[in-house]
Amino acid sequence: MNKLILKLALISGIVFLSSCTSDTGYEFMPNMYRSPSIETYAEHTISGYDGIPVEGTVARGYLSTFNYDETLDGYLLAGKNAVNPLENNTENLADGRALYGMFCEHCHGATGSGDGTVTHPIYSAVPHYNDDKLKRRCDVPMCDLKAGHIFHAITYGLNAMGPHASQISENERWKITLYVQEELQNLGK
Amino acid sequence: MQPKIEDIFNMIRINNIKNYLLLLIVSFAFSFQALAEVDGAQIFKQNCTACHVLGETKLIGPGLKGITEKRDKGWLKKWINNSSELIASGDEDAIAIFEEYNKVAMTNFYFSDEEFEALFGYLENPPVEEAPVAIQNTVVAEEEGLSASTQMMLIALVLLTLIYILTSVKNSLKESLGQNTESVSATVQSNFTLFFSKTINKLFVGLFFAIIILKIVYDAMMGVGVTTNYQPEQPIAFSHKIHAGDNGIDCNYCHVSARKSKHSSIPSANVCMNCHASIVEGSIAGATELQKIYDAVGYDPDKRQYIEGYEQKPIEWVRIHNLPDLAYFNHSQHVNVGKIECQECHGAIEEMDVVKQENDLTMGWCINCHRETEVKMEGNDYYTSLHEKMKEQYSGEKITVDKIGGLECGKCHY
Repeated sequence: MNKLILKLALISGIVFLSSCTSDTGYEFMPNMYRSPSIETYAEHTISGYDGIPVEGTVARGYLSTFNYDETLDGYLLAGKNAVNPLENNTENLADGRALYGMFCEHCHGATGSGDGTVTHPIYSAVPHYNDDKLKRRCDVPMCDLKAGHIFHAITYGLNAMGPHASQISENERWKITLYVQEELQNLGK
Repeated sequence: MQPKIEDIFNMIRINNIKNYLLLLIVSFAFSFQALAEVDGAQIFKQNCTACHVLGETKLIGPGLKGITEKRDKGWLKKWINNSSELIASGDEDAIAIFEEYNKVAMTNFYFSDEEFEALFGYLENPPVEEAPVAIQNTVVAEEEGLSASTQMMLIALVLLTLIYILTSVKNSLKESLGQNTESVSATVQSNFTLFFSKTINKLFVGLFFAIIILKIVYDAMMGVGVTTNYQPEQPIAFSHKIHAGDNGIDCNYCHVSARKSKHSSIPSANVCMNCHASIVEGSIAGATELQKIYDAVGYDPDKRQYIEGYEQKPIEWVRIHNLPDLAYFNHSQHVNVGKIECQECHGAIEEMDVVKQENDLTMGWCINCHRETEVKMEGNDYYTSLHEKMKEQYSGEKITVDKIGGLECGKCHY
């Protein structure tokens, strides 16, 4: 009887240990780590499902209200017509400052003078927000850029800057715009 | 006629003033000269590098290598000062360039003649490009000292030789006294049987081995599902040290959803392309690792444009931090409300070339942090009334996460 128990224990032990080896060591109940149901970033075997939403899908809260296209005309038109819907208050400005620190500061610098921590030669000539001479495409100097120009540049990118629409929501983009206009463009004045 | 002394004095004075004036004029002229000596390199850096490089590669506009031979000086001046006018005037070259670069007009730069000359001079004789020095990965041989098992082996070896030496000394002593000698193995064996003839010794040795075995089993069981220091090889040799450390890019720039959702998102390749549409060569691996991104999204780094109709492929990153389904963890809670820095759980990611799991992510580790971390009540309206109550209840004590229910089972297990 004792021998039988010993044998059973040995076999079950071997089965238990060999069934769940992986690079990450032994796992207790591997299904808990790699769930059979679909989880974020997990692999799946469902045919025909590629994880990409149907074309034209709008995520809740992400309906675009900024309807200018990705062209020079769109840029100029946005500068002329677009208005920042956010109220200029301390809360929005504080949010804008935090978001600017996350998404802009490494290139544009803490004071908007283009002296960020990214030092690659391609990004060596980031324009100053408070420059009153250098004229860019919109034909006004950097310190007079309108809210629409800034929003358009964040959304679609400009020159060597890429489009940041996928990372920053519209509301957050307006907050950054507010912060740039209220704080950084006035620094040199 | 002798001039009066007064007159002579006057003359000297006038001469002096004249000299001063001359000196002033000359020095002014020199300083103007210095002002007029504009630096072509600086003009180029301030105005052109946003769209042009000095090499052959295209950025927003064409690479400017050999541009001064390709184009006439007068034409270049017209183009830089007002390209749209030149296009409108029907210049064939101008129209061709305009068409080639998707009708993106170049900004008009109204440079003065000196500025243009300086810029032209710079473009004619660009600085010699330094050949990229291949960075050698100096692998420092890590001398960790002897491992535990080798140390044990050495100790055992020393003990064995000691036994051997001592018994041979004993034998030679006995020999000189004329007593009977016995071989080394016989001595060891006889002592061994003598030692184990006593029950207390048997029990002691048995207990010793039992404790060792129990400790080994305990450690093995506690290590199940714990993957500290897990450092898999990723499909792209992306270095957090270069991006987050050297270049100081905020974690949130790429991992955008850490502030907003349960998961901290892996950036999709378009986030890489924000910079790497322009930066096509890395500092360590050159173009090989970046080419993997371009293969995934379908981008031609030579032409600097996306390939149309390209079937994009996902980049299959290897997951490092993985909690089992039995525990719930939410990034946004910890980042937004808890105001925990990423590094507190993930370690100094900005110093890692290859990311590894810094902490063990066990329940004990979670609980420990909940017991020690103070709740950030300030500036959070949700806590205003609660804060007053808590201050009364725990007068003087720190209000840590466990005091607002951070140890309740149902908070993480449901």
